[in-house]
Amino acid sequence: MKILDKLKYISISTRISILLGIIILLTMGVFSTFSLLKQKDDAISSINNNTGQLSHTIEKILRFSMLKNRRDEISLALNNIIGNEGIKSARILNHEGVIKYSSRQSELNKNVSQNMPLCSSCHDINHNMFNIERNNFNHFSIDEKNKIIYNSLPIYNAAECNSGGCHYSSDKLSAGTDSIFSSVHNPSQTILGFIEIEVSIKEVIYDLETTRTQLILLTVLFAFLASVITYFSIRYLVGKPVKSLVEGTKRVAQGDFKTDIPPGKAELGILAESFNKMQNQLFRTQTQLIESEKLASVGKLANEIANEINNPLTGIIIFSESLLENSNSNNSKNDYDTIRQEALKIRESVRNVLSITRHEKPDFKLIDVAPVIKQAVSVVKKFSNFRNIKIILGIAEPLPVIPADAALIEQMLLNFLLISSESMLTGGILEISASYKEEINEIEIYFHDTGKGIPESALRNINDEKSDIRNFEKTGISLVVCKDIIGMHQGRLNINSTETGTSITIAFPV
Amino acid sequence: MKPDIKILVLDKEEIIFKSIQKALNNDAAFYDITYCTNAFDGLKNIRSDKFDLVLIDIVLPGMNAMEAIRRIKNIDSTVPVVVMSGSSLSGIDFQDEILNSAAGFLLKPFTTEEIKSLILRVLKTNIAAE
Repeated sequence: MKILDKLKYISISTRISILLGIIILLTMGVFSTFSLLKQKDDAISSINNNTGQLSHTIEKILRFSMLKNRRDEISLALNNIIGNEGIKSARILNHEGVIKYSSRQSELNKNVSQNMPLCSSCHDINHNMFNIERNNFNHFSIDEKNKIIYNSLPIYNAAECNSGGCHYSSDKLSAGTDSIFSSVHNPSQTILGFIEIEVSIKEVIYDLETTRTQLILLTVLFAFLASVITYFSIRYLVGKPVKSLVEGTKRVAQGDFKTDIPPGKAELGILAESFNKMQNQLFRTQTQLIESEKLASVGKLANEIANEINNPLTGIIIFSESLLENSNSNNSKNDYDTIRQEALKIRESVRNVLSITRHEKPDFKLIDVAPVIKQAVSVVKKFSNFRNIKIILGIAEPLPVIPADAALIEQMLLNFLLISSESMLTGGILEISASYKEEINEIEIYFHDTGKGIPESALRNINDEKSDIRNFEKTGISLVVCKDIIGMHQGRLNINSTETGTSITIAFPV
Repeated sequence: MKPDIKILVLDKEEIIFKSIQKALNNDAAFYDITYCTNAFDGLKNIRSDKFDLVLIDIVLPGMNAMEAIRRIKNIDSTVPVVVMSGSSLSGIDFQDEILNSAAGFLLKPFTTEEIKSLILRVLKTNIAAE
């Protein structure tokens, strides 16, 4: 699926940034929502408080006017209240729900008791009371659509309300009762009526909505900024190093171990270092394998040629020996012997060449290194480098056998011999000895030459496990391969190189 | 009458046969040397004749050397088989199986002395075993 494939290539930086953006949006979204809700609640509570206080104040102010039954004063007052502090209207209802006074002339004497939440807070549908204890209650209801809060404050009946006369009742006067004034309110009524105020909350809601919009914008902006910053940070800290690592692995896959990847920061820096070390190690292994491979293919070729040479050579040797045996003349005998000798030399040469490695994987067997050393020496003797070099060979036989791969040991010896010869291009003496050191149970192979020494650059890092050999020149690489072979055999290597000669000591445990 | 020592040489190069013949020519015993260039002919010969010694080259046309030795031993379990090679350096170059079934090894090229002492050694051992 193409889309899925494309998704795979979305980088780490992008993924994390997007994730971060989403997390921020979600958390801030949730937080903002709760915050805004609380704000609204607080705002409305505050308004309710204020409105409640306001209606108390209005009631107190109008009390006197109500006691004195100065109806015009009450109407006037109600008319004057509106317009201030967002009060849209004010009215007084009696307990039955009839509007007795109002700032809206048109609703006078209308009954609004149907469907009023105010009534149902104390009365059920059949007008029975169910909430008995209702002192100091103040009723609020919110019309969200029109952005209005309705506040209804009950006017409680008091002694002065039902005992003080509101007007002179001539009837009672003529009846001669004690009370000259009759009261409008029945003493048995607890609540005489309600002061209702309509408060507009348009502004409050507007403010809240503005805050909400700002908060949303800020959240989105913040989420975006955070994402972008994260994106670039991660790209710098992770993305780039990972990219160079990915490229590095691609290069290694194509066989290039020589290009280091740039160092990075923190864990990725360590990874980069390890990667480079790994490349170095791969190169070392590859070099050693290639060397073995080369020798192996030479060996294969040598094998094939050997057969071609050895069969006829058998004939030459046997027949010249037969001629030698059967000949009577001394001259002929000498001649036949010459043929024989030369044929035997060919045999020797071929055997030396064949000694070059033929094994493909390290093949550890218990071997005596003495013949291997002798073999290596006889091989190099023929090289032009060695024409002016005197080789002194001293092997303290018999040597105990050691577990080793003869081919690798020979490869190592050949390398050391060649390196040695390179320091003595104009001639010199090369001493080779091998002996068994009983005290430490080791076989020690010792080379000493009178050459001008191994170049410093080649020696510098062979003792360092971590050294990067990819840029060494040939001698350095040869030495490292020798060191690796010695390592495989649990041996030790010591090289002492000066301008007047070099000593190399190799020890193998028995 | 001198006893014949019957030797079978299995090698694809004729010079080997000629050399062996030449080398043994001057010897006291009388050698009857039969020569084949491939494994099948060799096996045919073994079936029809009793040999005192078989010299077989490790590179033999028609059959893997180990297989050939096995078949030889099948037909005649007592005949000593000596393995020849022109591209080995020593015994350790041979597979273990061959090391176990062969009575000896002959590295080419060999001198007259070498082949004579080898044959002597192998025949003596064989006689002792019988």
